[in-house]
Amino acid sequence: MSPSTTLLLCLILFSAVLVSVLAALPGITASRGGKILAFLVLFVLPLLCMAIGVSSEVERSKSTSFCLSCHVMEPYGRSLRVDDPSYLAAAHFQNHRVPADQACYTCHTNYAMFGGVRAKMHGLRHVYVQYLGKLPQQIHLYEPYNNRECLHCHLGARSFEEGAMHNADPDLLPAVKANKMSCLSSGCHDVVHNVGQLNNVKFWKGDK
Amino acid sequence: MTPEIVGLEKPLRLAGMLLIFGLLVEAICLLWARPLAFIVLVGAGGFLCAAGIVVYLYSLVSAARVRPEQ
Repeated sequence: MSPSTTLLLCLILFSAVLVSVLAALPGITASRGGKILAFLVLFVLPLLCMAIGVSSEVERSKSTSFCLSCHVMEPYGRSLRVDDPSYLAAAHFQNHRVPADQACYTCHTNYAMFGGVRAKMHGLRHVYVQYLGKLPQQIHLYEPYNNRECLHCHLGARSFEEGAMHNADPDLLPAVKANKMSCLSSGCHDVVHNVGQLNNVKFWKGDK
Repeated sequence: MTPEIVGLEKPLRLAGMLLIFGLLVEAICLLWARPLAFIVLVGAGGFLCAAGIVVYLYSLVSAARVRPEQ
């Protein structure tokens, strides 16, 4: 458990004890001090606990372990440990090109306006499908992967701007930057998760 | 003599109970690291806490104020 969660649990426990005292002895609210205490305990503290609690849960929903806690995502979690640098997701995860503890969110959120909110709304839909809906045979992205998500980190990076393959054709980089040609195009970075082939690959044992 | 608020005990107890249950739900959800925990925290915990706060605030505006007899 993280220190922030422990602190929040202590605050919740402290609030619950104070609420219990007020509920057991409502007579103490007759005095001015009691009224102020009641306002703090029955209004301010619960609001504070809920606000911090929701914020903490939203933050936790970005974690790799959170995304992979649904059974249907298990192969995608395994694909992060493929011992083959041509696997794009694995190479990013294992080399910390994305934060390892927020690997899914970093690549699959939308870096446009309200992208985080959209990701959360999609997450709520995923929870609904997981518990009440019908799981699809194969998982698809909602829309074709936008280069914007790659360029969020790679734009301006020397390896991206000056890479030999990227500059072999002078029209390539402008097309990639304009999202007219996908980074995941066939022949480029087209091996991403490839969960259908996980039975035929070796896995990286490190960083468990 | 200052006026005393009468009839506050019951709503305060009810608000307290709702808040305690709400806070308990929140604590359990924080320990239960599953996607469903977020829904339960916002749905059940949020509802209980909000209901407790509303009951408390309503009890303040609806409580009868009387001066104790001399």
